[in-house]
Amino acid sequence: MNLRHIWIVFSKEVKDIARDKKTIITSIIVPMVIIPLLSILAGGSVQNMQRDIEQNITIALTKESNTPEIRELITEDIIADFPNIKLVDVEDPIGAINNSEVRAVLDIDRDYKEKLEQGKTFVIEIIYDESHTKSLGSVSIISNAINEFKKRVVANRLEKMGLDDEIIKPVKIEETNIANDARAGLSMLSMILPVLLIILLSAGGMALATDLVAGEKERNTFEPLLTTKAGRSSILIGKYLTVALFSFVSAIASILGMVLGYFIDPKAMTLGTGAQFSGFSISGTAILLILIISVLMGMTFAGIQIALSTYAKSFREAQTYLSFLIIIAMIPGYATILMQPNEIPLYMYVVPILNTISAFKTVLGVNVNYTCLAIALTSSVAYVIISLRIAISLFNKERVLFRS
Amino acid sequence: MIKVENLTKQFGTFTAVNKVSFEVEKGEIFGLLGENGAGKTTTLRMLATMLKPTSGTASMAGFDIISQPEKVRTKIGILFGGETGLYDRLTCEENIAYFGMLNDMSRDRINDRIKALAKAFGMEEYIRKRAGKLSKGMKQKVAFARAIIHDPDIMLFDEPTSGLDVSAIKDVHDFIRICKNEGKTIVFSSHTMSEVEKLCDKIAIINKGELIEKGKVKEIKQKYGCDSLEDIFIQLVGDKNES
Repeated sequence: MNLRHIWIVFSKEVKDIARDKKTIITSIIVPMVIIPLLSILAGGSVQNMQRDIEQNITIALTKESNTPEIRELITEDIIADFPNIKLVDVEDPIGAINNSEVRAVLDIDRDYKEKLEQGKTFVIEIIYDESHTKSLGSVSIISNAINEFKKRVVANRLEKMGLDDEIIKPVKIEETNIANDARAGLSMLSMILPVLLIILLSAGGMALATDLVAGEKERNTFEPLLTTKAGRSSILIGKYLTVALFSFVSAIASILGMVLGYFIDPKAMTLGTGAQFSGFSISGTAILLILIISVLMGMTFAGIQIALSTYAKSFREAQTYLSFLIIIAMIPGYATILMQPNEIPLYMYVVPILNTISAFKTVLGVNVNYTCLAIALTSSVAYVIISLRIAISLFNKERVLFRS
Repeated sequence: MIKVENLTKQFGTFTAVNKVSFEVEKGEIFGLLGENGAGKTTTLRMLATMLKPTSGTASMAGFDIISQPEKVRTKIGILFGGETGLYDRLTCEENIAYFGMLNDMSRDRINDRIKALAKAFGMEEYIRKRAGKLSKGMKQKVAFARAIIHDPDIMLFDEPTSGLDVSAIKDVHDFIRICKNEGKTIVFSSHTMSEVEKLCDKIAIINKGELIEKGKVKEIKQKYGCDSLEDIFIQLVGDKNES
């Protein structure tokens, strides 16, 4: 291995890629523009949907329940305090749910009045369609209105009996959320950021890794390169470092895009949750460690990508292998998306990909566990070495390099 | 300058090259004649240290291809057929310089060589243009310059005229002659009898990985009492294929 040769290959590849407008635009510029744009559009659409679900709830009554008495019960007693709920008349109530004319249909016992007066229970059935987002979303608001009515009836009955309503409330639940906005924001980040980073790091260097070995074989530039004084390992490491650098630059560009989107429209970027991603502090050491672990993850992906590109018979075959790599990388990311930092078992800090995800979650948790971070760092270094060794070994195997 | 001894290459159970031996003197053009799949490219790849022989060896400019591959590579230049294999986004100058740098040449020496080669091949006008914007003929000249930037003693040409049009073939032939005039030793593989006959001092006919005849073109013709190299080739290869 010759450092000078590695540097020559690396600088040539960086120069080459810097002149490739297509790659620069699709891997760096587009994520910086498209990610905030898409998030704002998607977030905006979620916000609009939520607003619509909450504000324009239309309900109808089944034909059997549609009597003046029951209509009065609904309008005067149940939804009177809910201006967002409107009772409408429709020909075919169930069909109206399917046509999105109404969100839900209520079926109420015809003899409700007698039961109410006798202090008995009567049934209000809410008919809705779970497959319609707005219909499903409206059920809780309608139930809330009915519950409010129910509370008033109970209070009336207790009053008539000369009892205080505390008699049916032996326990009052009070909730105190000790998480401030910043900690809630961190918790959300610990779910999104690791999986996002894994996807970005695994996808960022894909095009370049395909081009730098499989592409070079197809363009006939490979054989002249192998007959220079530079050894194969030096050539490979030069290319490998380019892929690692590029996947990291591409990941940073995407994250910058997200940060930009957050500053433009924070609510849209958090899909309407309004999570706060400010006001928290993470120690410098933890940030440094997680940054190193991320770089190492990018280097591991670069090693695997270069190895797969070396193994591939053609450019197209390399693209297929590398697309699979992204899917494989996504699995642990999504499998652990809801896992909280304090729930992470120790073995996860050793398993590839999971170690980076766990390290991120730990750093974004309340108490940073430096022992776990050290384990993740050590295992990350080991995976970089293993992936690079595999890539070098394949690059030096003539049966792999010249297979066609 | 080149001494090949019992060079053998097996891929699994398949023997691509079987105990091939030949010698090429300094300044000679040696033609390796054979059909597609005869073992020409595998032989040249072994001489270029891209493939390791299963057995046997070769000495290139005094260096052994097995024990001193890096030193061998400083002494050889290659030009393989098909696409010219340039980096389209680099300028012609950068394409050539890249290979000079990887052969440990100094920056000054690279610049001097590029200047001289640009003049020799008439590339001065487009030497600073990106390779992707050039015509096929221009690209070919850049590939020539790249192959000899480090002034190698030995040039290996693997079917360099494959898929080229008439004028491009002439350019390749002229380049081979330039190399010979500069005293370089040349191994040239082809399946085109006429160009081998026209360019080579000595030839070897290779079939199914084995050298079945070698010597000077004139001597081979005398030996078989035939004036057509093509007829001799058909006779030899046909015999071997039948047996």
